[in-house]
Amino acid sequence: MASVRTKPAGRGPSTTAALRGLAGLAGLVAVLEVLPRTGALSAHYLPPASEIGRTLGQLLAESTFWTALGDTVAGWGLGLAIAVVGGVVAGVVIGSVPVLRAATASTIEFLRPIPSVALIPVAVLLYGTALESTLLLVVYASFWQVLVQVLAGTQDVDPVADDTAHSYLLGRWGRVRYVLWPTALPYVMTGVRLAAAVALVLAITAELVIGSPGLGREIAVAQTSGAVSRVYALVLVTGLFGVAINLVARAVERRALHWHQSQRREG
Amino acid sequence: MRRRILGLAIAVVTVIGAAGCGSSSDGTSGSSASGSGKTTEVKVGIIPIVDVAPLYLGQKKNFFSSRGIELKMESAQGGAAIIPGVVSGQFDFGFSNTTSLMIAQTKGVPVTSVANGAATTGNTTTDVTAVAVRKDSAIKSAKDLAGKTVAVNTLQNIGDTTVREAVRKDGGDPSKVKFVEIAFDQMPAALDGGQVDAAWMGEPAQTIAKSQGARAVTSPFAETDPKLTVATYFTSAQLAKENPDLVKKFAEAMTESLTYASAHPDEARQILTTYTKIDGQVLKDLTLPDWPAQYDMASLEKLASLGEQDGLFGDKKPDLKALFQ
Repeated sequence: MASVRTKPAGRGPSTTAALRGLAGLAGLVAVLEVLPRTGALSAHYLPPASEIGRTLGQLLAESTFWTALGDTVAGWGLGLAIAVVGGVVAGVVIGSVPVLRAATASTIEFLRPIPSVALIPVAVLLYGTALESTLLLVVYASFWQVLVQVLAGTQDVDPVADDTAHSYLLGRWGRVRYVLWPTALPYVMTGVRLAAAVALVLAITAELVIGSPGLGREIAVAQTSGAVSRVYALVLVTGLFGVAINLVARAVERRALHWHQSQRREG
Repeated sequence: MRRRILGLAIAVVTVIGAAGCGSSSDGTSGSSASGSGKTTEVKVGIIPIVDVAPLYLGQKKNFFSSRGIELKMESAQGGAAIIPGVVSGQFDFGFSNTTSLMIAQTKGVPVTSVANGAATTGNTTTDVTAVAVRKDSAIKSAKDLAGKTVAVNTLQNIGDTTVREAVRKDGGDPSKVKFVEIAFDQMPAALDGGQVDAAWMGEPAQTIAKSQGARAVTSPFAETDPKLTVATYFTSAQLAKENPDLVKKFAEAMTESLTYASAHPDEARQILTTYTKIDGQVLKDLTLPDWPAQYDMASLEKLASLGEQDGLFGDKKPDLKALFQ
């Protein structure tokens, strides 16, 4: 991270990262092509990459695939948005009121480690296999990622800065805006990036296990139908989706924190 | 039990829910307005497998719409979501194997069967399920399964009870069979990889496994009873009480669909391509279940006594008359 001799300024690091990511993927594809062809793995259960690619091509021509992708994006995006807004608001409120903080600490520590998938029966009872089932799981899992980061961020406020703001008679809102928020923002961004990845995992899991609409359900249907290369093609799509999410999250983070030392050092 | 789950659900909703409620539910249920006119939207929780083909066929043939029912299939992944979904009112009807329904009933879950689902072909060589072994396996018939590991998709359910019965009938010791839980679609690989000695497979897994060299040694459903009722469509006791008219219409439409599917197996096979991804040779080779219009009560009694014998119902007994009216 903090290596001194970095690439030229500008978009250097992101492009290299993307290139490296692509190289990694290319390597994986090569391995997936060779293993089944040499018989190291049975082609029944792991078709060669070229065949998966062909299936992927067919997949892209299907309208059901795009509907499923849209459902997954909706479950992921909506869930993430709810979790981020909820997490930030709750985090700032709890973090800036010491009494609240003390009162909620144990509750948060109790609720946070409950795996979201444990809520599957609840989701089914409430929403059946509708999109809301996915949302319940996604929001529960990613909310804590954001909340805990925001709480850590509010803890990190420099007391001197806060006192100075006090003596300049800044109101509560002013202190949140000019002192707390800039301190917490890097934490918020980390929380959002983590939550974005967790939200995708939970969205796919919900679709796979419950059967709510989306890529996960498509995977499950392909699996029960014994359409092996289709399963891999769909898994590949979710993988690419994950990579895209990570790239976007990093880009947003760099944007929002361009003034922050963690970003300046690299740029 | 159920009340406690609901209580928990409400607690969860109050914690996270307010935000969750803002989510749009359009695109799924909002699109077709029920109530107006005389069509009722009916949600059926199903597993997208071969057995439910008559339901899709009946939808295509308008057996449901002609009775004012607009079918909406909710394909759940595995039966785990279907029974709770029906009981909580998320689905109006559901599809489940009969042993699961008996277990649910003995646990006090208020469900009742309304129409037949699927039955064994009664053919002990080509049935809807089979216990398959590797080509070179020493296991030749059901009794050889004693002392061996057999994969089933769900432990303590219709799979292991009927496999035990097949072993018993063949003169083996059913208590010596070791069962492990593996999903149907992973069974061909698990068998091939030597993780299990044998696997009890449904369709299309058994056809896929056979095409890769596996050998069927017994057909537990057909061995248990040549007319075994394997699965039925069911609803919640509440809906059955509140809307007997709808239940009656659904049952009539379902019966018509089962009859049609039995008479037109090729169409039934073809409709599989609309909701599964089974294709090619597997689609041509797989064994369709029988779709009689009525349950076979004698076979259900047999299944219940097997479940009792294996301790599936605790110390209770399923009330078959109430469950399969």
